[in-house]
Amino acid sequence: MTDPTPPIRIPLTQLAPGQRATVDCSALDALPPGDRCLLTAMGLGERCEVRMCRGGRACILQVDTTRLGLSQDVAERIMVTPIDDAP
Amino acid sequence: MSDDAAATIALVGNPNTGKTTLFNALCGTRARTANFPGSTVDHHAGLCTLGGGILEVIDLPGIYSLDLDLPECAVCSDCIAGRLGPAPDAVVLVLDATNLQRNLQFASTVLRRGVPCVAAVTMTDAARSAGLVLSTESIGKDLGIPVIEASGRTGIGLVDLARSARDIATRLAPPHPAVPFPHATPGTAACAEWAAGIFERAGGRATRAGTDPLTERLDLAFTHPVLGIAAFLATMALLFMSIFWLASYPMDAIDATIGTLAELVRSLLPDGLLSDFLADGVVGGIGATLVFLPQIALLFFLLALLEDTGYLARAALSLDRTMRRFGLPGQAFLPLLSSHACALPGIMSTRLIPGRRDRLATILCAPFMSCTARIPVYVLLCGLLFANEPWLAGIAFAGCYALGIAAGLGTAWLLRTTILAGEGRAMVMELPPYRTPSLRTALLVARDRSSIFLRNAATVILSISVVMWWLSAFPRSDPTPQSQALRQVAEAAVAAGDEARAQELVAAADSLDAQTQARGSFAARVGDAVQPAFEPLGLDRQLTMAVLTSFLAREVFVNTVAIQVQSGDDVADPSTMEAMRTATREDGTPLFGRGTCAALLVFYVLAMQCLPTLVLTGREAGGWRWALLQLGWMSALAWVAGAIAFQLVAT
Repeated sequence: MTDPTPPIRIPLTQLAPGQRATVDCSALDALPPGDRCLLTAMGLGERCEVRMCRGGRACILQVDTTRLGLSQDVAERIMVTPIDDAP
Repeated sequence: MSDDAAATIALVGNPNTGKTTLFNALCGTRARTANFPGSTVDHHAGLCTLGGGILEVIDLPGIYSLDLDLPECAVCSDCIAGRLGPAPDAVVLVLDATNLQRNLQFASTVLRRGVPCVAAVTMTDAARSAGLVLSTESIGKDLGIPVIEASGRTGIGLVDLARSARDIATRLAPPHPAVPFPHATPGTAACAEWAAGIFERAGGRATRAGTDPLTERLDLAFTHPVLGIAAFLATMALLFMSIFWLASYPMDAIDATIGTLAELVRSLLPDGLLSDFLADGVVGGIGATLVFLPQIALLFFLLALLEDTGYLARAALSLDRTMRRFGLPGQAFLPLLSSHACALPGIMSTRLIPGRRDRLATILCAPFMSCTARIPVYVLLCGLLFANEPWLAGIAFAGCYALGIAAGLGTAWLLRTTILAGEGRAMVMELPPYRTPSLRTALLVARDRSSIFLRNAATVILSISVVMWWLSAFPRSDPTPQSQALRQVAEAAVAAGDEARAQELVAAADSLDAQTQARGSFAARVGDAVQPAFEPLGLDRQLTMAVLTSFLAREVFVNTVAIQVQSGDDVADPSTMEAMRTATREDGTPLFGRGTCAALLVFYVLAMQCLPTLVLTGREAGGWRWALLQLGWMSALAWVAGAIAFQLVAT
């Protein structure tokens, strides 16, 4: 039997500091193509796990060992699925 | 390619992988900075003699993918494909061991092109500290290329890397067995799985990356809305105070050397045209630009140290929201702040800004910031405008800075909503780890930037300086009867043993001759012709000429007016101010009426009266049309605002 509840996707900006989430293939769809490709090449790719280090207008995200700085307008257009075991 | 080099290799990799440190270690101090034809993206080139033989090494900009629609990615892609000249014989992929999976995905885009490659795995010491020991042999087997552990900081593996790159580039090494590469884009699941497989076979473990508490705390402080801005302002205040303090010594030394050199030329050559040309045109022209070199070298040295610590990326992130209101990115704050010292280093530091539109807008608005060269002009005009009201003079002085900032940010907004419209590059940046900065890298950066500036000074600026000298030195005027009479009296004073009196008289005669020369020169004739255009600002023929001659550098205005009214040019000297205040025009009215002072003050805040800045804009913006646009816009704005100020104050 499959789980009938689809995973909840929220904007990255709604993650609490320390909370983890996963990124899926449509997570960056709301961004312009150029920004989407850049973020993907920087490591924010399909199925990757991210950790919110700092929210707000200067958002800091950890992807693997890399820390990425994003402006709020970019971060709020990235959709992620929170991971239950966080923070 | 250099004639001596056996082959050319290009270093490519993600930013912050230690690529440039590796390049500096391979090439030492023999490197140079250049742009590819038709591009403003920097690259470094140098010769490597490690491991026997000579290799030409090109350090390409750090990028995240060859396929992104960004200027630096296009340059890397075109260089590797041989579209910017001969293609490199081999590519050295620089892979960061602490972030190997992402670096491998980038590597796949290069390897797919079939270019002969070698990989250098860097940052292995940091990886080991985190408990990660990777087998380069295993990575090499999976990639089908030689993989060598190398570090520019410690020197590990440099000779092996150079030898291996040379063997691959000159086809001495047998080709490795071909291995399949994913044809998926980096970041997709297929490409990530391919990279993860290599990583795990090399000894890596798929674990959650830990967090460094110190990094977390510093990041929170440096990007805090209040603390972050306060930290940035404090850092910049310290930076600029250091620059002013430290640069003043070499600047004074250069100034004195140039003065001595000019005197030497005059003493070696007979009085006349050649002596004037060499002393005033050539030595004076070089000196006027060379004096800025210490500030530029120091600024870039200190900025490189700051950038290397990892702090600047955090500062740009925290300032981004404020700057975006004017269409500029967070990275623009630093060049605009630097421009308050001098627009030249400010414009050169726009190379830190990644987006072309953002960078152009910053270059075009930077000269509005009030630089130190404007200070003598501000002091003079504020003092004349509010002679007995020092507090009002102080407010006017501060107002000049505020007006410059407002005009600069307004110009940036206007540009980004009209000719440079379009979405800027989103604020997405990697925050490099905090680390101790490399003194050697900072010195090399300062040397690079200084040599770019000097090449500029030695060519265009010198040529135009000579033209400006010619306009003000020709046609030659004969000494006036008054100056000849003064010299005769001076000779009599010498005969009577009164040397001090004689010197005063000769100085007065020189000043009279300079005044006559200035009035009869081609520059003055141009001044006569264009004076009607400056009438709405309340300028007469003398002041129009002073404005025109200060096109080379604003501070020349004070000097020219001083010659005209026969005073000294030290604005801190009360007698100079008094001489200027009481100076009259040919019709007997005051030379500096209140309306004229207000108009000139506004004009000098807004006008592009700095030739070196204009030349640098042409070079850094990638075309003279941008320099001409800057000149046209700033001049028009200065003229209109000056005319309005004159009308408001004079009436």
